[in-house]
Amino acid sequence: MRQYAFFLGCIAPNRYPGIEASAIKTSEKVGIELLPLKGASCCPAPGAFGSIDLNIWYAMAARNVVLAEQMGVDITLICNGCYKSIYEVNEKLKHNDELRDGVNEVLKEIDMEFKGSVDVWHLAELYYDPKIVGLKKIADSITRPLSGVKIAVHYGCHLMKPAKERHFGDSENPMWIEELVAALGAEPVQYRNKMLCCGAGGGVRGYDLTHAIDITNEKMINLQEAGADALTEVCPFCQLQYDRGQIEIEEKFGITWGLPVLHYNELLGLAQGMSPDELALDLHAVDVEPFLKKIL
Amino acid sequence: MAEVKKNEEPRIGVFVCHCGTNIAGSIDIKAVMEYAKTLPNVAIADDYQYMCSTPGQNKIVEAIEEHKLTGIVVAACSPRLHEPTFRVATREGGLNPFRFEMANIREQNSWVHMHQPEEATEKAKDSVRIAVAKASLLEDLIPKSVPVERAAMVVGAGIGGMQAALDLASAGIKTYLVEKNPTIGGKMSQLDKTFPTLDCSQCILTPKMVDVFRHENIELLTYTEVEAVEGYIGNFDVTLRKKARGVLTLEEAEARGFVGGGCNGCGDCEDVCPVIRPNPFELGMAPMKAIYIYHPQVSPLLYTIDFDSCVKCNLCVDICGDKKAIDLNAKDEFETVKVGTVILATGYDIFPIEEKFEWGYKNYDNVITSLEFERLICASGPTGGHLIRPSDGATPKKVAFVLCAGSRDNTGVGKPYCSRFCCMYSLKHAHQIIEKIPDAVPYLFYMDIRSFGKMYEEFYYRIQDEGAKFIRGRVANILEDPVTKNLHVNAEDTLLGRPIDVEVDMVVLAAAVQPAAETDATRRLFGVSCSQDGWLLEAHPKLNPCGTTTAGVYLAGVCQGPKDIPDTVAQAEGAASAASIPIHLGEVELEPYFAVCLEDKCAGCGMCINLCPYQALALVEKEGRTVMQVTEAKCKGCGTCGGFCPGGAIWMQHFATPQIIAQIDAFLLGGEQ
Amino acid sequence: MAVKKDYKDKKLAEKLRDRKYYIPDSNPEFIKEVEKIGLTAAHLCYQCGTCTGSCPSAPRSSYRIRLFMRKAILGLEEEILTDPDLWLCTTCYSCTDRCPRDLAPTDAIMAMRNLAARRDIVPRNFLKTTQLIYQTGHGVPNNDANRAARMKLGLEAEPETTHKYPEYLAGIRKIMDHYGLKERADKILAEEG
Repeated sequence: MRQYAFFLGCIAPNRYPGIEASAIKTSEKVGIELLPLKGASCCPAPGAFGSIDLNIWYAMAARNVVLAEQMGVDITLICNGCYKSIYEVNEKLKHNDELRDGVNEVLKEIDMEFKGSVDVWHLAELYYDPKIVGLKKIADSITRPLSGVKIAVHYGCHLMKPAKERHFGDSENPMWIEELVAALGAEPVQYRNKMLCCGAGGGVRGYDLTHAIDITNEKMINLQEAGADALTEVCPFCQLQYDRGQIEIEEKFGITWGLPVLHYNELLGLAQGMSPDELALDLHAVDVEPFLKKIL
Repeated sequence: MAEVKKNEEPRIGVFVCHCGTNIAGSIDIKAVMEYAKTLPNVAIADDYQYMCSTPGQNKIVEAIEEHKLTGIVVAACSPRLHEPTFRVATREGGLNPFRFEMANIREQNSWVHMHQPEEATEKAKDSVRIAVAKASLLEDLIPKSVPVERAAMVVGAGIGGMQAALDLASAGIKTYLVEKNPTIGGKMSQLDKTFPTLDCSQCILTPKMVDVFRHENIELLTYTEVEAVEGYIGNFDVTLRKKARGVLTLEEAEARGFVGGGCNGCGDCEDVCPVIRPNPFELGMAPMKAIYIYHPQVSPLLYTIDFDSCVKCNLCVDICGDKKAIDLNAKDEFETVKVGTVILATGYDIFPIEEKFEWGYKNYDNVITSLEFERLICASGPTGGHLIRPSDGATPKKVAFVLCAGSRDNTGVGKPYCSRFCCMYSLKHAHQIIEKIPDAVPYLFYMDIRSFGKMYEEFYYRIQDEGAKFIRGRVANILEDPVTKNLHVNAEDTLLGRPIDVEVDMVVLAAAVQPAAETDATRRLFGVSCSQDGWLLEAHPKLNPCGTTTAGVYLAGVCQGPKDIPDTVAQAEGAASAASIPIHLGEVELEPYFAVCLEDKCAGCGMCINLCPYQALALVEKEGRTVMQVTEAKCKGCGTCGGFCPGGAIWMQHFATPQIIAQIDAFLLGGEQ
Repeated sequence: MAVKKDYKDKKLAEKLRDRKYYIPDSNPEFIKEVEKIGLTAAHLCYQCGTCTGSCPSAPRSSYRIRLFMRKAILGLEEEILTDPDLWLCTTCYSCTDRCPRDLAPTDAIMAMRNLAARRDIVPRNFLKTTQLIYQTGHGVPNNDANRAARMKLGLEAEPETTHKYPEYLAGIRKIMDHYGLKERADKILAEEG
């Protein structure tokens, strides 16, 4: 078992607890033990905090990293917003002395010091990495192949971009999450403008909801065109935007889409035999039933 | 070895140059001059606005006479710029020109310390002190002259290399024209029409190819690469690898006793060859056999076997019959030729534009490169000149041209420079589709239209008048309609200030150019430098654009930097002229910076022999002792042997140990030595 | 300097306001500030429009990231910081990935937002998120319905975060207080009413 400090973020534990529950259970079956990261906070939200003062964003994210440094284990997480904060600040502070000194001056007030001793990983990349888990182990772990369903992937901006500050290569047409989807027995489908943003980021969801969901609606048009049975992602904030966003689209624009949206860990949980109840899929705003019927 | 005048009292003249305000703007010239006067051995110190001017040089000439000087120091620019100038002045004053030393207080001082005048002045004093210390120990040196071989070599037989070879040959010089491909003509032979005149590329190129082929002074070596280079200006020994072609020319056949045999280009072999592979000349858009010519107009008309794909079935040998032109057991052959000067004309490749993922080249069927467009629009190309969409063979009506595709790009994926001819050929492409396809509309996405050449801006005007649409914005990304395979080109019309999405049938990427793949290996063989982006480095960007820092090696065409056909031909003629000068002079002077063996100290251990990178050293018997001997013409004065010799028996002329120690002492000990 | 028009009719004065760009009206230091905060050499922008062409917000609004870059270079500080479009960037970083000058326009926008925030120009939702974090450690805190759902899943009602360990909140508050963020957010929200 490889051990990682499990950084939860906000939306998974507090809105979609099924993502948290499935992440812990599904990871165990592929050799990853997720340890509680006690006292972690919001990453903090890169849009809200970064827009007001990047220095506060650096310091708050660094505090979360230091909690893992104190445990002596790398961090893994399940949200792209968290990935931007925790991964990017960790890397920035490791490589920019001036930023690190500034942050450590603040952390000193709470008896903490950023040392740069741990790395940060998205759980999905650990699944994909053959040195950690790999597609084969994922495929071997499933008991209920998701055969006969078409699943589209939303990668999420903060996972993939800026590509130069990431390590996933092509940010224009990546395919690795599709490979993870195919490992579950489902058919990944491509759709127009796949890498378009969900619309939620940068504080726009809170600042101008109709603007944000108009972007989401464009995504829905493209997804519909591709005939997807469900959309999967690796970011609870994108999930919120697609899931609750569809209700908001209905309210504001009078258009109904009804496309189930599931985090990859929820899909993996289903494929490993977890029941919809164990995943709290009833908390999803868009009814997941039509999708479940196709696979159960 | 030059005579060391042991008892000579050094008397040094120091001259400090203002270089207008280039130096005087940040360095206190008077302070440096006054300081120089306090240094040991300095007999006179003076300054002048421009030391390189005639009055400036006269100061040196007059001071040598008046002050009985033994050495000259000029504190000015880089010796790469004006060392030759001041050496001439030193000689005119009656001193040996190697009694001159330069202190660089411009490139290495005033230009980089513009905002630190005090520190810059102190550094200039250091430089002058160091130079005076060396000048005090300089000796008379006599350069050697060596004869120049009356032959030249041109590497690369594109339009640049062909023009250079024709000029050299027409000037009466035997010229070896070396080309790695089986045929000559280079990139220009792949083009359809040329801007701004719209004359057919093949039509103007073919006569040149024929001239090259027929010229009595040109020895054309196709399918040949440079393997090794030895020697120096006037005497390069170039070893060539003649790649196994598997097909004999008429002459080669005759040499083997097959009189009347050899390849006549009949093509029977190609018909029977069972191996099919992509034709690189057609950029993979047409098939080719393992025994091949690129296209029917190749020069020389001679088949070649690709031994990587040949299955040696012997069908070609059988059909060739009595001509006995095919030899499936051919091996690479090597030949060494001696030449006096060399011109590199190695050309360019297209940047692999698929690395810019956002434009989808090699991912979307109907996104092609400009060079592919040239082949598709060319009457002798794979489609007979009918531009078609690769996805369905339909004729495109709306075509987007993406300019600066990978050029002017600082991301690391792409090239920071302007590729210089894409604007113009894209305008030409726009013209060609308007001319050939009824109702066709070209959309040119551009940042700037750089139509700087003669009649180029007029050409831009003409294409605009013909109806091409110009959108001032760089293409952000391209999305493919999965059903129609049409392409949505996304950009901002920056003049309108609105994002736009243009649906087109085809996209043509004006991909950046980069040095040809073999350029780096070739330049290393000839000791030529390159700039950061890989283009071969000229000796001076303005005043010596055809020369290199390696004497006797010159540059022509795009290998030195992106340029269009007129500029390439002009540079080729310049390079040919420059390369012919040493040959016509018949001899060249070598810088006398070679190693000298101090035989009384040499123990004959021979350790230096293997260290020498130029095979310039050997052990010889002299008066019953074994001592080392230097072949001066081969020695480059690198100092490897001199630095190593355990007995201190090797004297590096002009960079002798006592001279260097004196410089170090002068720096470390300040004025006190 | 722009020509002042002291016309009696204020509406006419606004209608006929001098639109010329005058260098003395701009702040040449602004771009340097943007670059210092955004860690990107924004002054190298050559206005190709790749950013706007990549932008998910541009097709549905008047937000033009290229124009923000241009205005920043010209020092049009006032215009930038008071423009409500500044807050329409979703920070998707498509422009940053494609920028041929290897700049990060997204980070330049973030820097301009930081500079707006220094003048207390920040949309409410941004401030409210920071207030929630000050109170609970989470931008999206737990609630009773979710607690019930968590327990049904066999999870504890409170996640292993500041929710379960509120003693960690002191540290978070100290960091935010170091920058006076809570106080400022309270003040701005109170002023807006």
